Amino acid sequence: MSSKITTSSTAEYFAKNLQQVGFSSPLKAVLTTLKEAVDNSLDACEDEGIAPEITVQIKKVGKGSSKSADLIVVTVEDNGPGLDETLLPKVFGEYLASSKFGRGQCSRGQQGIGISAATTWAQLTNAQGVKVISKTKKMRKAIEAIIDVNIKGNKGVIKNRKSVDWDKPHGLKAEFRIDGRVQLNGDGGILTYLEGTTLVNPHLTLNYKLLDHDWVNIGRVSEFVPQVPKPTLPHPHTMKLGEFMTHAHLFGKLTLKKFLTTGFSRISDATIKDFTKKGLKRAYLSQPLVKFNETDFKEVFRVIQDTDLANPTTRSVLVVGEESLSKSIQRLGDIDFFSVMTRKPKICDFKPVVVEVAIARFLNKSQDAESQGVQLLRFANRVPLQFDKASCAITKAVESVTWRSYGLAQSKNSLPQGPYVIAVSVTSPFIKFKNASKETIDASEELVEEIRRALMQAGQKLGRHIRRENKAADLERKIAYIAKFGPILVDGLARIAKAPKTRRNKAEEGLNKILGKDSKEAENELKQAEDRLTAQKAKQKEKFGDLSIDKDPAVQESKPAVKATTKKAVSKKTTSKVVKKASKKVVKKVAKKTAKKKATKKKVVKKKIAKKKTTKKVKKTILRKKK
Amino acid sequence: MALLKVRKSKINIPKEAQLMCDKMLKDLERSKRPVLTAVKCSLDNSLYNSRVGYLTPGDKRVKTELNVSSVQKLARTVFMLEVLLNNIDTGAVNTKRELYYMAKGLVKSEKELKPLDFEEQTESDAVIDYICDVLEVYREELNCFANDRGGQTYSKELIVTETLSDGTKATVELGSLGTSPFQPKNKPQALQLKAKKKIDFCLVVESEGTANTLVANGFTKRNKCIVMGAQGVPSNAVRGWCKTIQDQLKVPIYFFGDLDAYTLQNIYRTLKAGSAASLIRNSDFSAPQVRFLGVLPEDVKKYDLLCYDVTTKDASDARSLKKAKDALENDPFFKDKKNKKLASILHWLIKNKVRCEQQSLFSVNPKDPLTTEKIILEKIKRGSYV
Ligand SMILES: Nc1ncnc2c1ncn2[C@@H]1O[C@H](COP(=O)(O)OP(=O)(O)O)[C@@H](O)[C@H]1O
Ligand SMILES: [Mg+2]
Repeated sequence: MSSKITTSSTAEYFAKNLQQVGFSSPLKAVLTTLKEAVDNSLDACEDEGIAPEITVQIKKVGKGSSKSADLIVVTVEDNGPGLDETLLPKVFGEYLASSKFGRGQCSRGQQGIGISAATTWAQLTNAQGVKVISKTKKMRKAIEAIIDVNIKGNKGVIKNRKSVDWDKPHGLKAEFRIDGRVQLNGDGGILTYLEGTTLVNPHLTLNYKLLDHDWVNIGRVSEFVPQVPKPTLPHPHTMKLGEFMTHAHLFGKLTLKKFLTTGFSRISDATIKDFTKKGLKRAYLSQPLVKFNETDFKEVFRVIQDTDLANPTTRSVLVVGEESLSKSIQRLGDIDFFSVMTRKPKICDFKPVVVEVAIARFLNKSQDAESQGVQLLRFANRVPLQFDKASCAITKAVESVTWRSYGLAQSKNSLPQGPYVIAVSVTSPFIKFKNASKETIDASEELVEEIRRALMQAGQKLGRHIRRENKAADLERKIAYIAKFGPILVDGLARIAKAPKTRRNKAEEGLNKILGKDSKEAENELKQAEDRLTAQKAKQKEKFGDLSIDKDPAVQESKPAVKATTKKAVSKKTTSKVVKKASKKVVKKVAKKTAKKKATKKKVVKKKIAKKKTTKKVKKTILRKKK
Repeated sequence: MALLKVRKSKINIPKEAQLMCDKMLKDLERSKRPVLTAVKCSLDNSLYNSRVGYLTPGDKRVKTELNVSSVQKLARTVFMLEVLLNNIDTGAVNTKRELYYMAKGLVKSEKELKPLDFEEQTESDAVIDYICDVLEVYREELNCFANDRGGQTYSKELIVTETLSDGTKATVELGSLGTSPFQPKNKPQALQLKAKKKIDFCLVVESEGTANTLVANGFTKRNKCIVMGAQGVPSNAVRGWCKTIQDQLKVPIYFFGDLDAYTLQNIYRTLKAGSAASLIRNSDFSAPQVRFLGVLPEDVKKYDLLCYDVTTKDASDARSLKKAKDALENDPFFKDKKNKKLASILHWLIKNKVRCEQQSLFSVNPKDPLTTEKIILEKIKRGSYV
């Protein structure tokens, strides 16, 4: 690892320009610090094939040094490989020309900021760097120390070094005391970040305590630790001239031909011939790179861009997968249904990408969630994007879909409404961001279209659930209508027509026959919708097994009453039975007041809801550690 | 107690209603779905013939067949019909809002009727309108009168005689009212008009405020005329009143309002030829001889009137441009050859993307309070109207 870490001389520059790298406000400072630390923990675990367990704590301990800020302590602890003593000051105290930049991997280091920026922020606002405890497999005792940044010397300084006992085979804990402000919910919220991270990392076990809230524990739903695919060499069509020249500098003395064939993917000897056909000077090919000036580079670059090349390989792309997403999304809250979609890797703008979508509807969102926009979670290489959503490719794609055809409310060209979460994850070794803050994925036409397709496929699956629901509600409403309005209509007609009672009764019989037919029809429609949904579920089951989390053994033990059937089966059976019963009765004797029947019907429905709720509650309490 | 009729109609409403209900009941007895048929009151079912002068219904009909979705509407229709028939029987009259409350009261007193309850007046209004369309009768014939606004009328010459429901007569000399207007209410068709001296013309002004200003400045003193404020989109009262003036006094009527698509289509066209929503009653609620005095595009030029730009950026402006285009494409009134000149005003509006308000005349010579009057008279004299 250390061979890949290169020190840069930009410490001073960064210290002066922290606002450009995520520390522009007290709110962002906390989020960026947390993000950097958690991303590093996840990356380090994945590198070593360790299933990550991360514990996060954010405390407000006093007033900050500046006016609008509090003094916040951010602690992130992982079970990763840990770091040797020699590396601690390097990683936490030196600015690195990020070890991952341009490697062509789907790794998280998208912020390109590095953890040292967080150390600098701590030092600038609270006169002390980061407190770390680290233990590698080889160490018997852990090292505890403070790492400061020596900004002038661009060196990390280790202070107060101690050997301590740590009941962990290996891992790292970092504690930052910084000026900041804590916002939990909403687009830039800490909780939003943690939930997003949970969603796209099914293999993560996360414990967190935010401010005065209780500890929350979210267990992993997958034992599989994803391997970030081996980096591929860059594809020349994905580069800008400047990047091309920087890349060339690394190859210094080599000839252009050697540089092109070994430093890039999809360039072979045959391709070199194509270049010469397109006008590349032969003399260039054998010339060492050091002799090239800017004009030469420009010329070479132009020819390469003009030549057709094979598309980059899609093997370098990593996916979360539909099965894991399905399980993972259920960790976000009480969901009554969801739909996921993982597209095949695709080349967009010459770059391989995979788009994944998960949509879920939540049960316990507030009442007015119906009329509010859905919660949109955006991810680039599994890192949640939390700012500047308006011009992001993901937002544009979501807005371009006609959600109404899947049963969601939506006003034109905006996000749909309702208690839904729509999560869209874009993974690619070369994600193009719109600006330096890397919070907005560039909305190229091809990428937006690819995301849109994924959304539409997930939307169709969702639509089946919603349609069944609507049909059930429709039928119930129609049946209620007949019972309510039928007798009034007949009575009124008879009075105005001055008809005798016998005619009135005969007419009522006729009315019930007609309307009974109608409700039969509605019933059939409901049945069809149900069948379609069942078929979809069966298909899903065949693919992944049963994904319902109600089968959690802990739940079954503590609540034997609901163990026999899953939540979904219960609710479905109950609705159709209730409805059928109701419709029959109505047809037979509408005239008789249906108050009693209605009451029982309501009871059944209520019971159903209550059942759902207790199941969930039990689960939650199990998950939640006691203080 | 017999009320004055709005029109000479042969329809015996209670009889018709009874037949209709009897037919529905019979269908039900045979397990057949009863159907109610109503005239389709929309622009795409409106015909315009310049010799007739107003929009008439085409042969499109809307059928409402009984099914689970329509059962509520039909139950409400029959319920409201009963209320209205009762009013006709006793001779009571009501406004739509009163009927809304009466319906609510009945529902409250009888819990069987609870499901019928109207949450908002718009719901009961829609049912009343539907009954009119089914029976092809006027709302007024069902003893339902709106609280109509507009129609404030000023004249030194006009004398109005009203026959009251108890048979006595009341006579109003408008000249004795000073600057207070006379306002026809429910049934302007039932008023008898007489002129003290020959009346030269009637001027209908879109803005009631401007009508009042003209009168206050002596317009009716200097001219043998009638001045009326329309107060925006003309109500039934204003429409019926204009028709009465046209038919009984046989004087030229000029309309003066803003130069924009809204005024042309919603206000002027409704006054002159009725509206698509009231197809079955346009014959008694339109005055085909009304002329459009202005503001005309030629006035904008001649008097260098202040205009507003209509930009596609502003939502309401964009709507008004679209309205003008729609009117040209879909409104049979503007599509008719006879109204070519009116259509050309719409074209002008679309092309020049401006609108000009009637009050802009006050910008021509602000020091002379009589300028607006002078321009109006001059335009009438010159024949500068459409
Ligand atoms: N929690 C950790 N556990 C083990 N190694 C770590 C941890 N955090 C950082 N590292 C190592 O330090 C390197 C530098 O991290 P950082 O400065 O954040 O840059 P980047 O994340 O872009 O590589 C990482 O690539 C990783 O090898
Ligand atoms: Mg990092």
